[in-house]
Amino acid sequence: MTISTPPNVAAAAAGLHEATKTFGGTTALSKVTIDLVAGEVVALLGENGAGKSTCVKLLAGVYQPDQGHVAVNGKPISFHSPLDAQRAGIGVMHQHPGLFADLSVAENLFIGHPIKDRLGRLDGSRTLAKARRLLETVGLACDPAERLGRLRTSEQQLVEIARALSLDARVLIMDEPTAALSQREVDRLFAVVNDLRAQGVAMMFVGHRMDEIYRVADRIAVLRDGRLVGLEPAARLTHERAVQLMVGRPLDGFYPHHEAQPGDVRLSVRGLARRDAFEGVSFDLRAGEILGFGGLVGSGRTEIARVLFGIDQPTNGSIRIDGRAVAFRSAKDAMANGIAYVSEDRMGQSLIMDFSILTNATLTVINQTTRHGLVARSKELALARPPLDRLQLRFKTYDQPVRTLSGGNQQKVVLSKWLLTNPRVLILDEPTQGIDIQTKANVHAMIAELAAQGLAIILISSELPELLGMCDRMIVLREGAVAAELTRAAATQEKVMRAATAVGTATRSPAGRELSRPSAPTAAVAAAPVSKPADLFVRLSVHREWGLAAAIAAVVLPIMLINPRMLSTANLIALSMDAALLLIVAVGQMLVIITRSIDLSVASVIGLAAYGAASTLHGHPGIGVIGALTLACGIGLTAGLINGLVVTRGRVPAIVATLGTMSVFRGLNSLWAGGKQISADQVPQAWLDLTGASVFGVPAVVLIALATLLLAGFALHSLPAGRELFAIGSNPDGAKLIGIPVERRLLAAFGIAGLLAGFDGALWASRYATIDARVATGFELTVIAAVVVGGVAIRGGAGTLLGVALGALTLLVIKNGLTLVRVDPLWLEGVYGLIILVAVAIDALVARRTQLRRRHAQAGAPA
Amino acid sequence: MTASPKPTSSLVDRLATWENFLAVLTLATIAYAVVRVPNFASVFNISQAIAGASERALIVLPMALLIIARQIDLSVASTLALTSVTFGLLTRAEVPLAAAVPVTILGGALCGGFNGVLVTRLGLPSLVVTLGTLAMFRGIGYILLGSGSINRFPESFLDFGVNTVADGPIPWTIVPFLVLAPIFGVMLQKTPVGRRIYAVGGSPDAAAYSGIRLNRTIFWLFVTSGVTCAVAGIVFTARLANARANNALGLELDVITIALLGGINVFGGRGTLTGVLWALLLVATIRNVLGLLRIGGDAQSTVIGMLLIVSLLVSNAAERAFADFRTRRLLTGPGE
Repeated sequence: MTISTPPNVAAAAAGLHEATKTFGGTTALSKVTIDLVAGEVVALLGENGAGKSTCVKLLAGVYQPDQGHVAVNGKPISFHSPLDAQRAGIGVMHQHPGLFADLSVAENLFIGHPIKDRLGRLDGSRTLAKARRLLETVGLACDPAERLGRLRTSEQQLVEIARALSLDARVLIMDEPTAALSQREVDRLFAVVNDLRAQGVAMMFVGHRMDEIYRVADRIAVLRDGRLVGLEPAARLTHERAVQLMVGRPLDGFYPHHEAQPGDVRLSVRGLARRDAFEGVSFDLRAGEILGFGGLVGSGRTEIARVLFGIDQPTNGSIRIDGRAVAFRSAKDAMANGIAYVSEDRMGQSLIMDFSILTNATLTVINQTTRHGLVARSKELALARPPLDRLQLRFKTYDQPVRTLSGGNQQKVVLSKWLLTNPRVLILDEPTQGIDIQTKANVHAMIAELAAQGLAIILISSELPELLGMCDRMIVLREGAVAAELTRAAATQEKVMRAATAVGTATRSPAGRELSRPSAPTAAVAAAPVSKPADLFVRLSVHREWGLAAAIAAVVLPIMLINPRMLSTANLIALSMDAALLLIVAVGQMLVIITRSIDLSVASVIGLAAYGAASTLHGHPGIGVIGALTLACGIGLTAGLINGLVVTRGRVPAIVATLGTMSVFRGLNSLWAGGKQISADQVPQAWLDLTGASVFGVPAVVLIALATLLLAGFALHSLPAGRELFAIGSNPDGAKLIGIPVERRLLAAFGIAGLLAGFDGALWASRYATIDARVATGFELTVIAAVVVGGVAIRGGAGTLLGVALGALTLLVIKNGLTLVRVDPLWLEGVYGLIILVAVAIDALVARRTQLRRRHAQAGAPA
Repeated sequence: MTASPKPTSSLVDRLATWENFLAVLTLATIAYAVVRVPNFASVFNISQAIAGASERALIVLPMALLIIARQIDLSVASTLALTSVTFGLLTRAEVPLAAAVPVTILGGALCGGFNGVLVTRLGLPSLVVTLGTLAMFRGIGYILLGSGSINRFPESFLDFGVNTVADGPIPWTIVPFLVLAPIFGVMLQKTPVGRRIYAVGGSPDAAAYSGIRLNRTIFWLFVTSGVTCAVAGIVFTARLANARANNALGLELDVITIALLGGINVFGGRGTLTGVLWALLLVATIRNVLGLLRIGGDAQSTVIGMLLIVSLLVSNAAERAFADFRTRRLLTGPGE
C-alpha cells in the first residue's frame, strides 16, 4: 500500500500533497497541499464548489487522487477504500450523515468497526455501554437501542459526530458538522474538539460560519475553484482577508441596489401549520417585495415552502392569493396559481441530471411547446432561449446533459425553467448555494430585477449577508415557529443569529425530544411505542409475526372443523417437509433482498442442482449421497457467485442479471438433461432417505431447515458481517462511505443464496425422487412471495428470519388447507396472489399510520 | 446502456449508441441466417417467425414505457391469459365479436387499473404488486375456466389468426402491433406525455417539483399496459385458436428481457423504443434460427439470457474505459 519515498521533514499526521482530482470533464481539485498536524485544527474555507468536499473525500479514502497523493505521517499512501483510511487512523464526520435508518443508534455508532467478543460475535452489552458514553460526550440524550430513523435531523447529526469519535482516530475530519445544530449543540461539539486538541488529535474543520471558524481553528486554509489560495495561522488572517481570498475580489457592491416599491398584497398566509414541521406561520407578501426566511437548516423554512408549493398539505391555516383562498393538492395546482419554487436540492429536485439543458428548461411548460399535439423543437428553443441568454448560460449545445454543467450554470437552467412559467410568486430556496461568485452576482441582480418588475419573492437562505443584502423584510424561524420578524433597517447578523439559535428554549425530555412541542402524544408514542394498548396497528407493526401467526390460525381452525385430516400426522409431515424446502431457499433470498437486491434465478439453480445431483448419482453411484450433496452445493455456490460477480464486478442491476441467469441456468439444465428423466428406482435408497428418514418422528429435512434457520439467525444477528448486510440495504452509499466492503458482502450474499438453493436442490431431488429439467419451474415467485409476506422490505434494510419462516408457513398452510377442503388446486395461484397483495397492503397501511405518529422524528429531514 | 438521443459534437459519440450496436448485431444475425441456415429465407418461415412474436411485440411497448417510468409490470402474461379466457367465454356465450372485443379490452383496462391503484394509492412497489397480480389474474382465469380450453371461434376470427396480409409474408396478427408501435413511438418521443414519462423515471422528485402528477402518469401507464395485454390476449387466442388460463405462461420474463436488451434502463429515465424494436427483431430471429436448427425452447432462452448479460457487461466495461480515457486526456491535455 505504501510507496517508498523519503519521509518529509516535519511529519504531519496526515495531509494532501499536490493532489488533483477530476470528474468527467471538470477539475474539482488542482494541486492542493495541506498538512494536518497533531494537536491542531485546520479550518477549510471556501465557497460551495470550491473543492472542500473533494479534499475531505480524498482524505477519507472515498476518492483517489488522479495526481499527487494522500500522506499519513509524512509518507505517501494510497487508500483504496474508506476502510483503508479508517485503518490509517483517519476518522470522518460526513456532511450528510452516512447513517442507517433501519439500525439502532448504537449499531450506527459501531458498524464498520464493531465491538466483538473473543469468539468474534457482536458484544451487545458492551456496545450499548460504550454507545451511552459516546452519546453523553456529544450531549445527545436518547436510548442507544432506539431505531435511528426515529431521530430528528439534528439528533442524527450528533450521532454522526459520536460515530466519528468512536473511531478513536488520530486524525479527525469534520465536514460541515454544525449546519443543522443549535448554538448549544455547537458549543458542546467545540468543547469536545478542545479536548481532542489537548490529546494531540490532528483535525480538519469544514464550515461556513465565520465566527465558528475563528473559534475553532489554529490555521485556516482557503480554497477557490479547486485551488489552495491561502493557508495561514488564524491569528494572522483577518475576516476580511479570508473572505476576499474565498471570493477572489473585494466584497463591496456585492448586492444590487434594491428599493421595494411594494404593491398590493399578493400572498397572504394565516396560521399556517403542518403537523410536526411548523405551526402558526402568518405573513403577507406584496408584489415587488422580497421577503426573507432565515433560520437553521431544519427550522421549518423549506417545509413552509413545500406547503406553499403544494408538495405537502397544511394541517391548519389558510393561504390566499390576491385575496382569494386557495388549497393546493399538488405542485401543478400551485403552478396554476402562479407559484414557482426553486428547490434547495438542485440535483435531486430541480433538475434531471441526465437530461439535456433544453428538456430540463422546458419541463414546466412542455404543454406550450406543441404543434398539433407534438413537441416542436423550434417552439422549445423559442421559449427557453430568452431566459437562458439573459442569465448568460455557458454551454456547448442545448442537447448536452445538465450534469456536464457547472453548479452555477445548472442553477441558471433551473431559474429559466421557473421564469418560463411566468410566476406571480417566486420562492427561492438557497438559490446561490454552491455556485460561483459571478453567477451569484447575476442571480442577485436578477432577483432584484424581478422584484422591480412586480414579482413577489420569498428568499430562503442560510447565508446571512445574502438575506440582509437582498430582503426588504425577513422572518426568522426556529424549530418550526416564527422567532422574529425584522425589517431591513432593523435586521443585523447578530439579531438574526440570536433569534435562530436562541439558547435555552430547547428543553429536552429524557427521550431527547422537546417538551415545548405541541405534539405531546407523539412524543409519548416514540418514547414507548407500545404504550397505547388500544392501537392494534402499532403493535402489529412492532410484532408482525403475531399477525402472521393469527393468519395461520384463522386458516387452520375452520379447516380443522371441515376436514380433521388437517392435523393428521401424515398431513403434518407432508406440510412440514414442503415448508422446510421453501424455507431453506427463502432464507437465502432474504439475505439478498435485505441488501436491496433480488435473485430471480433461485428456482433455476434449484433445478440445475437437483438434476445434477440426481443424474450424477444415477450415472456414478460410487460418489454416494455425500458426493451428490456436495455436488449440488457446489453447483449452487458457483451459480450464486456468478450472479454476484455479474452484479458487483459487472455493475449489472441484480434484477436484470438474475433474470438473465435464470434463463441461462434453466437452459443448461435442459441441455444437460436432453429430455431425460431420473426416476426413483434409478437412485440409491440412501439418497431418498436423506429427506424421508425421520428423527424421533420429525422428518430429517425439517431438522435441516431448522438448523439452517438457526445458523442464518446467528450470522445475521451476532456476526458483524450480518449487520452490515442490513446496513448496505438501508443506505448503500452510506455503507460505502464508512468503509463496509459492499461488493464483497453482496458477493457473499449471492453466494450463500446460491449455496442454499443448490443444497435445497439436492433435498428436492431426494424428496420428489422423479427429476427432470423442469424441476421447480416458477418456484422463484413462491420464494419471493414467502419473503415479502414474511415482512422483508423489498427496498432492503429490514426483515426478520422469524417473519420469513412464518411467511413460508402461511403460504403453505393456506395451500394445504384449501387442498383439504377440496378447493380446486388451480385456484391456489389466485389465492397466493391475493395473500401477497393483502400482506403488502397491510404493511403499507401500518407504515402510514406509524409514520403519521412519528412524523416529528423526520421533521426537518430533507425529503 | 446509452441514454436517450443526445447528439454531441463527436461523431464517435453519435454513432456508438446502443441502438446502432443492436442494429448491427441484428442485421448481422439475419445476414448469417439467410446465408447459412436452410429454410430461413422462405416466405413461410418468415411469416411464422413474425406471427410467433406478435404478443411479445405488443406487450413490450407498454413495458418499455413502464420501465422508463421506474415501474415494472410482472402481471402482463397473466393479464393476457385472463383476457384470453374472458374473450373465450364471451364467444362461447355467442356474444358477437363486435361486443366481445371491446369488453375484453375493458377487462384488460380493469386489470391494469387495479395494479395502478395499488401502486399509486397505497404507494407499494410495483414489483411486489404485480408479483401478486401475476398470480391472482391467472388464478381468476382458472376460476373462470378451470383447466379446460375453448376452441370454437367464429370463422372470421380464426382467419385473422392464420392468414397473412394479401397472402404475403405479413401475418394479420402482427397488424395490431404495426398500428400501435408508431403511436407509442410518437407518444414517447414527441409528445408532452412522453416527456413526462421520461421525467418521472429520470427523477421522480424533480418531476413532482416541476408540476407533473406522478400518480396520474403511472396509473395511466398501468391501464395502457392492461389494455395492450388484452389486445395481445385476443391476438394470442386467434393465433392458437384456443383460450385457456395457462396461455403465455412465463411470457413476462421474455418481454422484460427484450425491453432491457433494447436499452431501457432498469433504473428508469433512459432508453428508446427504437432500441426495443431492434431487440425484438434480434430475439425473434435468434429464436427462429435456433428453432430451425432444432434447438429447444429452454436452450433458446439460455442464448437470450447470455445475450442480455454479456451485452450489458460489455457496454458497462466500454463506458468505464471511455470515462478513464477522458480523465487521462483532461489531465495530460492542454489548459491547466
